[in-house]
Amino acid sequence: MIKKKGWLSLLLATVFLVSGCSQGNNESATPGNTDSNSGTGTAPATAGGSEGTALAPAKLKIVLYGDESNRMKELAKTEFYDVVKKEINAEVEFQFLPWTEYGGGKTDLMLSTGEDFATYTDANYMVKSVAKGLYTDLTPYIPAAADLSATVDEASFRAFQLDGKQYAVPVGNKPNSAEFYSVLVRQDLLEEAGMTQVTSLAELEQFYDKAHALHPELIGYANTDARRMLQYDFTDKNLYWQNDFIALDESAKDDQIISWFESPEFKTYAGLMHGWYKKGIIPKYAATNVPQLQSDWNSGKAMFWAGTAARPFEGAATISQAVPEAKLVNYFLGTGRPKISRGTYSTAFFVSAAAKDPERYVMFFNLLQKNQELYDLFAYGIEGTDYTLDANGRLTKINTDSLIPDWLLMNKNFMRFDNTVPDDFIADYKAWDDGAIISKGAGFNFDNTPVKNEETKLNGVFTEYLAPIGSGFSDYDSAYPKALERLKAAGIDKYIAEYQKQFSAWYAKQQ
Amino acid sequence: MTQEATPGTPGQLVPAKRTVSARRFRKSLRKDSSLYLLALPGIIILILFAYLPMSGLILVFKNYNFNDGIFGSPWAGFANFEFFFSSMEDALRATRNTVMLNALYMLTGTFFSVAIAIILNELRSKWFIKITQSVMFFPYFISWIIIGAILFSLLDYDKGILNQLLQSLGLAQMDWYSSPWLFVVILVLANIWKSAGYGAIIYYAVLQGVDTSYYEAARIDGASRWQIITKITIPMLIPSIILMTLLGIGGMLKGDLSMIMGVTFLNPLLLPTTDIIDVYVYRTAIRSGEFGFASAITLYQSVFGFILVLVANKLAGWYDKDSKLF
Amino acid sequence: MQTTENKGLVIFFYVCIAVFSVICLVPFVLAVSGSLSTESRIAAEGYSFWPRGFTFETYQFLFGSKAEQILRAYAMSLFVTVLGTLTAVLVTTAYAYVISVKGFRLKNFFAFFAYFTMLFSGGTLPWYLLSTKYYHLGDTLLGLFIPYVLSVFLMFLMANYFRSIPHEIVESAQIDGAGHLRIFFSIMIPLGRVGLVTISLFYALQFWNDFYLPLMLVTDQELYTIQYLMYNMMANIQFLASGNAAQVGGAIIAPPLETAKMAMTCLTVLPIAILYPFLQGFFVKGIIVGSVKG
Repeated sequence: MIKKKGWLSLLLATVFLVSGCSQGNNESATPGNTDSNSGTGTAPATAGGSEGTALAPAKLKIVLYGDESNRMKELAKTEFYDVVKKEINAEVEFQFLPWTEYGGGKTDLMLSTGEDFATYTDANYMVKSVAKGLYTDLTPYIPAAADLSATVDEASFRAFQLDGKQYAVPVGNKPNSAEFYSVLVRQDLLEEAGMTQVTSLAELEQFYDKAHALHPELIGYANTDARRMLQYDFTDKNLYWQNDFIALDESAKDDQIISWFESPEFKTYAGLMHGWYKKGIIPKYAATNVPQLQSDWNSGKAMFWAGTAARPFEGAATISQAVPEAKLVNYFLGTGRPKISRGTYSTAFFVSAAAKDPERYVMFFNLLQKNQELYDLFAYGIEGTDYTLDANGRLTKINTDSLIPDWLLMNKNFMRFDNTVPDDFIADYKAWDDGAIISKGAGFNFDNTPVKNEETKLNGVFTEYLAPIGSGFSDYDSAYPKALERLKAAGIDKYIAEYQKQFSAWYAKQQ
Repeated sequence: MTQEATPGTPGQLVPAKRTVSARRFRKSLRKDSSLYLLALPGIIILILFAYLPMSGLILVFKNYNFNDGIFGSPWAGFANFEFFFSSMEDALRATRNTVMLNALYMLTGTFFSVAIAIILNELRSKWFIKITQSVMFFPYFISWIIIGAILFSLLDYDKGILNQLLQSLGLAQMDWYSSPWLFVVILVLANIWKSAGYGAIIYYAVLQGVDTSYYEAARIDGASRWQIITKITIPMLIPSIILMTLLGIGGMLKGDLSMIMGVTFLNPLLLPTTDIIDVYVYRTAIRSGEFGFASAITLYQSVFGFILVLVANKLAGWYDKDSKLF
Repeated sequence: MQTTENKGLVIFFYVCIAVFSVICLVPFVLAVSGSLSTESRIAAEGYSFWPRGFTFETYQFLFGSKAEQILRAYAMSLFVTVLGTLTAVLVTTAYAYVISVKGFRLKNFFAFFAYFTMLFSGGTLPWYLLSTKYYHLGDTLLGLFIPYVLSVFLMFLMANYFRSIPHEIVESAQIDGAGHLRIFFSIMIPLGRVGLVTISLFYALQFWNDFYLPLMLVTDQELYTIQYLMYNMMANIQFLASGNAAQVGGAIIAPPLETAKMAMTCLTVLPIAILYPFLQGFFVKGIIVGSVKG
């Protein structure tokens, strides 16, 4: 009996202690919120003149992912600190976390335990976190990001709104329409095979056959997903995928969503992929070792890959270490369909719910994209010490240490090119988004609460049954019936209906 | 609590037991005070880092949100378990695979660890023991990702060393990564390879502590090496084997996600045998960012393991009272 | 007859152990050779026993400008390992002694109290909350080992070693009037040396290999351990290699993903591989001293 009592009293003590903890936690969070409300009142006054003289001192913690370089560590204590202090009267501190903690892990723990910080996110992580009350609603503070709003696309802001509230501030502005809709071809191999360009699937396969005859050790396609680049062959629609299960037809002006795995397009696509797999365009080991495909591409052992606007030059540097003469060119396998964009942002910054002064964080985000001088400072460091510029404004880095990550800040209004990037690449890059359309689903964020169970189970069915069919590892005709049965059992119908319902309601509001 | 009913307690003593035991308890508290002192640091550590955080278990039955905190968040009942148990076919397969693989690991791992310890105990060359013992310990440090990469270079269909060997022998290539049952064998072998050296150290240490006079006496009696092994060495190891088994059995339903990810790359064709609970949770709940679902299943694994341990502990008690865990 | 049979058996034993050891050595050799190969050849041709295109590029990439930081992380790991092991062994053996005392009426309770924590855990959120907000272990040296100073598994292992010490020795000491503290320090610890050395070794490895505590509790780079530093670098290399980080602006450094994995294995395992024979010398000596006294 004694044992039992001891046990119980211990458990009770535990419960009391921790409930005390969580209350204490709430209390500490509440004053923070009231603070920020009073901050709201002053927002319009300070937003216009962002020179930080009238502002009370504040402390900001910015979490970044990756490895902190020595130079970043130095600048964080000197120039970065000073400039932020001068501009918005805030003491900024940068904390680096490993990439594994992005969108979960320690980031989640820091948010859930009420720490005061800001970092970047994506739409998926935002939706989940907002449902748990982890982000601050930044709507009232957006005027404080006036300079940023002028250089970042409007559609990018919409991508981070939920129910009309702004939960994260997009950063970056770069051409990124038609991501993975083009084929990134090793032009050097193409020319070696006696061809000049690729304009259709037939030509792409012809390229494979010829190059394979010359270099049997090379693989064809260094990925397992080709639904975007191949859409010109398996459908007349202009498809854009919301997630693994749902696609939109951007050429139709309606609110109809497509259940991708139940569509006839999926059948045709799976057939094409199975052909590629049997032919060896996708190697046999792709079913097991996907990372190896990436290595193959990086070491010049593959003929083509999925393309993006930036890949011809950013990928070339990697490959050229193994194959110095490698040259990369983007091709589309069809024409006449506008490029689709999700918005031109790189990422978006959010502020933790417990932050004492959310407005000051927004002011900090504003600095990141405010003007050329600040952009140069945060992205490249100090001219003469960290980099030099030539007469054309081309950049040469003296110090290779990365500062605030380049990819994160990348804004076409400010960005500088390395002096090794050819002019025609830059011209192509800048013109990439011409004629592109914003996806009709951009800015729609699905609330999965009513179908959490179904979504989770569907993910299980996807990884086990549908991914192998989609990548061509299994034959559609023999594997699909079982997969469909599992999809139905996991609740695909309910999931699609819920998605359609929410999307239609949202779509109607947009019109 | 389970120890309350120790066999052999005469029934008629029960009414008097409480007062007597209360008095005896106070007395023993005085007598054993130094024992409490010795246990105190450990108790504090357990309370601070295990028992207090355990209150988080109630999160499994809640819909956590930041504003209401751990205790204020609304109750969710068993909603977090639903995704797992509503797809019974997957839940059963995952549970079966976990138990099957763990049982195989435990059987083969123990066998090889014990065998190595016994053999080392028979060898006399000190430098040989020293070197091999170090070397056998190495794999324990190598991460599953690296092991997976090395296995891949052995088992790959086209370029793998094994298939090249088969071809040179005039045999057909094997598609290793699409044979789920063959992969059970590969996983078991990989596990033996990684952990046998580690386990052997534990058993070898036990044997090193054995009084050498036992062996001398046996040798004088003319016992053969084999007889010494079976009559002295193995019985010496039995309590440790039981202990290690009992400690392992609680984790019967917990699987090593990093191992399956590293070695099979989560190949869908291998899932029929490698889809252990941790893998299933990873590719469903974690993939969808539903961490509440994931912790619910962790609780299921713990409760199941707890029941197993209680049973196993009882069984161990029947065999030998001293080999019980608690 | 008998001796030849024995001889055959002994040779068989030697061969078994030797073969298994060689198999255990293989990945280590592959890792060393991989870390000295060029990334492109490893990616294209796979691993080999001899470096493909011998180069120190990977190590140069990893060390880069970070040599000083890496050295400091090694020192921190060593410090945490020594301090952690000493504390842990003390806490663990004391607790193990308590649950191995014959006739102690709460020994089963204490055993259960410890075992229960092996099965059930409340998850990281409350653990993190308590450790940072209430125990204030964030960015402290204590935070790098205190949460791990009682491994229940090793505690049971130690209790098992204690139980194998003949009970008569304890009894005669008790008759001489020795209390538990004296029995523990002057009889059990010396006689349990075999077990003590074994769990010390395991604890040392646990502290050396840990990257979770620094990941959770440390932001100050001065407190980074080598495992955490490597974990951090690897996560970053994986991100860079995934092609998600578009770097049009500056000079692009292609991270050596495959060879870096191997190099990191070498950098973290190598010190142990070098130290292990010494540790083991200590280990074996401890065993001999223990068994002589026993």
